[in-house]
Amino acid sequence: MAPAGFESLKALIVEDNTHMRSLLRALLNSAGIKDISEAIHGQAGMQTLRERKIDLVLTDLAMAPMDGLELTRHARNDENSPNPFVPIIMITGHTEKGRVEAARDAGVTEFLAKPITAHNLFARITEILERPRAFVRCDSYFGPDRRRHETENYMGPWRRAEELQNVGAR
Amino acid sequence: MPRGRKLASGAQFIAPDAYPQMLSRPDAARALLNLRSAETAAKAQVAMEAAIPPMRAAILRYVDEMDAAAHDLKKLFAIAHEIRGFAETAGMITTGRIAEILCRYMDDMERAGKPPDATIVALHASAIARAARAEEDDVRMGEKVAAELAALVARRLAEAH
Repeated sequence: MAPAGFESLKALIVEDNTHMRSLLRALLNSAGIKDISEAIHGQAGMQTLRERKIDLVLTDLAMAPMDGLELTRHARNDENSPNPFVPIIMITGHTEKGRVEAARDAGVTEFLAKPITAHNLFARITEILERPRAFVRCDSYFGPDRRRHETENYMGPWRRAEELQNVGAR
Repeated sequence: MPRGRKLASGAQFIAPDAYPQMLSRPDAARALLNLRSAETAAKAQVAMEAAIPPMRAAILRYVDEMDAAAHDLKKLFAIAHEIRGFAETAGMITTGRIAEILCRYMDDMERAGKPPDATIVALHASAIARAARAEEDDVRMGEKVAAELAALVARRLAEAH
């Protein structure tokens, strides 16, 4: 039996619509991702991020009381954020240029427009695995480098703090 | 927090090998093979097909709620937003398309600081209901209706700005 590779991965779905949550869970399951948490808005999503070592976030944009943009900003910038580098895929029907730019400026890793297909969702996860983004920190922004390019001499991927310490020791 | 190199702009650049990745290298290699396999595609197809009947049923419930909320524009917008979110995923292309036009119109009018035209909203709500309740999603007819509504919205928006 072919190994899934996702056995250790912890995913979080933040979506207020129960049908979309079910579909996303089923699609992630079909790829072998089994450890999936769910939250119905950004605030609950942040709580889950703090409680569990989440490796991948799928979030809707429009939710109340906290939307996907605010969740992303908190995940990237909060002092007590457990993983400011966590990959965040924003899933939304709002595909207007301004909304996409707002998502990018909040620090989203990938943007996935509805209607959702398995092919498109898996393509975004593939992109994160194959071409992990460099991060940029400046006065007004922390998040994935908004200019996409190949990173030279990339030796990863590395996982979690233990491996990071090894990188630091090199 | 990993430290990156300083760019000329003063920003800090943190390369991917300087922070923890989603999966270790061996797991990522296996995950990529898995994501591209025919077996995964087949499982995902089954998952998509299983999701469609409950989604269609939910959209019909939303349409009923939309009828009941005819005079409550805020609620109507919230329902249209839900419908647009997954109607197309459920194979209800026309329904999703008209809901999308309605949402954009209401968004644009809000940005313009003007109330939406009740007739336009009612026309869209009625078209969404008819499209959703049609036993077969008549895409050709639906596209004609959607195109006419989009043209009407464009005219009204031009007048509003």
